[in-house]
Amino acid sequence: MNVAIAQVAPKLGEVEANVGLHLEVLEKARKKRAGLVVFPELSLTGYGLKDLAEEVALDPARDPRFRRVAAATRGLSAVVGFVEESPAERGLFYNAAALVADGRLVHVHRKVFLPTNGMFEEAKFFAPGRDLRAFEAPFGRVGLLICRDFLHYGASYVHHASGADMIVCVSAAPGRGVEGGDAFATSRMWELMGEAVSFFSTAFVVYANRAGSEDGATFAGGSFVYAPGGRLVARAPYVEPDLLVCPVDLGAVREARRTWLFKRDERPEAVWRSLERIVRAAED
Amino acid sequence: MPPKIDAAFAEKVLVRFIRDGLGKAGFAKAVLGLSGGLDSAVCAALAARAIGPGNVLGLIMPYGTAFPEEVRDAAGLARRLGIRSETIDIAPQIDAYFARRPEASRLRRGNKMARERMSILYDRSAAEGALVLGTSNKTELLIGYTTLHGDMACAINPVGDLYKTQVRAMAARLGIPAAIRRKAPTAGLWPGQTDEGEIGLPYEELDEILHARVEGRKTRKEIVAAGHRPAAVDLVLRRIKASEFKRHLPPVAKLSPRSVGHDFLYPYDWGR
Repeated sequence: MNVAIAQVAPKLGEVEANVGLHLEVLEKARKKRAGLVVFPELSLTGYGLKDLAEEVALDPARDPRFRRVAAATRGLSAVVGFVEESPAERGLFYNAAALVADGRLVHVHRKVFLPTNGMFEEAKFFAPGRDLRAFEAPFGRVGLLICRDFLHYGASYVHHASGADMIVCVSAAPGRGVEGGDAFATSRMWELMGEAVSFFSTAFVVYANRAGSEDGATFAGGSFVYAPGGRLVARAPYVEPDLLVCPVDLGAVREARRTWLFKRDERPEAVWRSLERIVRAAED
Repeated sequence: MPPKIDAAFAEKVLVRFIRDGLGKAGFAKAVLGLSGGLDSAVCAALAARAIGPGNVLGLIMPYGTAFPEEVRDAAGLARRLGIRSETIDIAPQIDAYFARRPEASRLRRGNKMARERMSILYDRSAAEGALVLGTSNKTELLIGYTTLHGDMACAINPVGDLYKTQVRAMAARLGIPAAIRRKAPTAGLWPGQTDEGEIGLPYEELDEILHARVEGRKTRKEIVAAGHRPAAVDLVLRRIKASEFKRHLPPVAKLSPRSVGHDFLYPYDWGR
């Protein structure tokens, strides 16, 4: 299967224009025989929304604009970022990403870890997600994460424990630090985690970051795919927009798990008991 | 150690920032003031690379004939970069205003000149269909060595996160002539004035202290323990605090449940 990463720069707060961008990229990726197309965090809305968050929120099961994007996934899968407001929780806005496949909404992940410090203010505008749940996509078992989720390694661990073949992280990471090299200093942080998680969870890691700039901050680009065992499959250019297409052979997961027995020997029950004790102690 | 920078990568980011920043706002052209100094030279060189030299207009706005070298260097730079330039003497309007206020201090006169230049830049930007590029660097923004609504005024500022010593590294990378790179930085408020003389610290020391405080989040005690003179550290910390107001829009007196400047929160790049 080919995986395509759309390292794009959506328009801030303009869902209609961004639907157009998605349709265009999906068409290009289809021509390159992509089986999975991954868009960055909040790809339908742009990132730094502030009070716009509630104005661009949508229900992916019913919203006609979302359905137009979903309809364009005939014969392939796509991960799309948006602000979710579901009928069950009116007035709560989630930073969400959905996997749609063959026109069907397969899974929605709501960002659990909302960065709110320094230049980040997500918890001012979004409700935090409460669940990390791997699911079956047409091509394999997938765990979805959104940006900061990926930097809390417990999130990837949950997907590993639940048997994910591929961890997909969608991101809108602004670059910081220009002390040396051809990338922002912060790009290294994502690559370090991508390499480590792909190695120790013997799964693919697909990281889709965005390009462009918002309110003076430049998004760092540098999207990548790591194969199980920490092998870099491909990386998009830093900063510049790109459509990265690379082959992914999910057979490599089986291969890696025969060599490195982290998955077979994993003991989530021991971790769970320990975590339960920690959580109970914290509640006292 | 002064703050490090990879000038090649920073150039790439800043060129893209100017191109995107103008493009997203629907503009293809930029105007900026050319003082003959380093910051505006770097800004002009970045703009020329970002949008093409023909789309950049550098305005040289001396007060009479007080600064002949600055005018010469600014005009030489414009020629070298291939950008358009124009010289506008601001003495007539400045002199007309101060003719009836002979008591005005040189600081008042200097600030009035900075605001006169701002006013001309904005007028010309409207005539050109261009945006005004800011040239205030991080060092001066942090210590408030700037004129509010004067040289601080701009649509976008490509160099505001570069310390002065980093601007020098960028200038070398961008091929700014040695005449501009080597001369003592001056705000040009009056003849013979130098930044370092007026601030009371060389830029290297100033930037090291700022870098320790801002990026390093060090306390006064830690910065002094790292080898900086207590008097220099105090001077810098005092100036950061005293100039905080310059780095904000003015406070709006809050009355309603949702007010501009408080909780009516939309991004600058809304719709772009």
